[in-house]
Amino acid sequence: MPSSPPPAARLRGSGPVLPAVLFVLAGMIAPLALMLRTSFDRFDPETLIVSALTLDNYLRFFETPFFREVLGRTIAISALSTAICLILGLPVAYYLARFPTGAAKSRLLMLILVPLLIGNAVRTSAWMLILNDHGVLAAGLARLGISGPLGLMYSASGVMIALVSVLLPFMIITLNSVFEGIETTLEEAAGSLGASHLTTMRRVVLPLTLPGVLAGCVLCFTLSMNAYATPVLIGGPKFHMMAPTVYQQITEAMNWPFGSALAFVLMGMTLGLTVGLTLAVQRRYRRWMA
Amino acid sequence: MIRFTYAAIATIVIGFIVLPLVLIVWMSFFSNPILSFPPEGYTLDWYRRAWSMSDFRGGFFTSLQISLCATVLALVLGIPASMALVRGSFPGRDTITTLLMAPMLVPAIVGGSALFVFYLEVELLSGVQVAGRLAGLIIAHGLIALPWVVKLVTTALTGMNQSVEEAAASLGAPARVVFLRITVPMIWPGVVAGGLFAFVNSFIDLEKSLFLVGPGRTTLQIALINYLEWNFDPTIGAVATAQITFVTLLLLVTSRYVKLHRAF
Repeated sequence: MPSSPPPAARLRGSGPVLPAVLFVLAGMIAPLALMLRTSFDRFDPETLIVSALTLDNYLRFFETPFFREVLGRTIAISALSTAICLILGLPVAYYLARFPTGAAKSRLLMLILVPLLIGNAVRTSAWMLILNDHGVLAAGLARLGISGPLGLMYSASGVMIALVSVLLPFMIITLNSVFEGIETTLEEAAGSLGASHLTTMRRVVLPLTLPGVLAGCVLCFTLSMNAYATPVLIGGPKFHMMAPTVYQQITEAMNWPFGSALAFVLMGMTLGLTVGLTLAVQRRYRRWMA
Repeated sequence: MIRFTYAAIATIVIGFIVLPLVLIVWMSFFSNPILSFPPEGYTLDWYRRAWSMSDFRGGFFTSLQISLCATVLALVLGIPASMALVRGSFPGRDTITTLLMAPMLVPAIVGGSALFVFYLEVELLSGVQVAGRLAGLIIAHGLIALPWVVKLVTTALTGMNQSVEEAAASLGAPARVVFLRITVPMIWPGVVAGGLFAFVNSFIDLEKSLFLVGPGRTTLQIALINYLEWNFDPTIGAVATAQITFVTLLLLVTSRYVKLHRAF
């Protein structure tokens, strides 16, 4: 007799996953599939959706300078804030990883983790009261004799400042877990062989953290591409990024086909750029990627 | 010198993250009629006002209700699924794990808008209204919550010493008793942490709920955003302070069960 197990045995214990799988299929995969289909439909102001199979929505997106600009701005702001998060996050994550284990370290980690889970609405509103022209920063500068409107609210720089602050904890926590996994003996060995701290970091530690750096960048970039609260509250009504534009097209213009296409352009761009970055880094630093 | 440089950078960067939250807590006690600096005096009126506003009080209770339901839903679906994924032997377990974690990876704004269009098309076909209803929000938040439960419970199960179960079984304990008296207590920290992370992440969600709230049924995060569009007074600070306190307390509780930073 062939020893291949009967089907029931091969699927042993798979029953309990079914409800969860069905839930995700119905709550996420089906809606995404329907949205993809909708993005090929046509919009009609009277009946909202006319079933069709057309690329018009995507063409309209890439042919309209306004929407191209929104996408370009979103990508630029996301790339820049991710880079700043990385530069600021690296030393902090390293410092935390090398901090002696104990109550003080737990408290430091809490200072990163609590803001991470406070929510975008609260964190962004906190930045509004710092950046506005009568806010904390303006008052602080006035005391130093620098007065006049800051102009940070409703500006790209204001959005960037708030976005970096909101995203930093994600970068730090991701990097921290990688640094934690690197033995200090490696640094000691490099040091005892005469390497300076910066050389050790550049030649020994950073290459080992590359996968974590990549993961942190992908996370920050994705969150930034899809940021809603910061561009809406700090950027204001005249500052357009992708996520608020998707919202506006779907709920206010009720143009579901075009809104769906926008959502898929956003998701496709995010995915394409992060996968592209990952592949590029892997190819360039193959010997560093374990 | 090197240590000092790192400490200085860390202080500045952590300050950049934490200071805004400290400031908003402080400013919630200002008596200034709009959020501005410096303080003209101090008062607790904004807390009274926030509590008296139906948007905020109602939003808080709606959020509480939705997040509790979503957490229960995620636990009910997620614990058995995690058990099967860790213990069972069937093809495609990696794919299923990825599928169950996927709601965490799909951007909230995309997932939320897709659900919104889906609900409305379901309504057009069947006449059943889901968008703007509590059920619609609970489904959306269940999707936010599920990956956290799966992630933390599978971690707990993987790290658990299974020979304790075998010992109990070999001493004659029936399967149900083994599960309730051995397995559940051993994975309990993972279950509690999974539930708490699920709850917090659902509670603070803004982007996914954005599409699904209806008139008179707003979550706290949406109420905050809507209020900020036209107002800028310390009521915001009072609500923010309440949320900061609430989340911090929940995280302190969670930290008794798992190392928080390991959850990411």
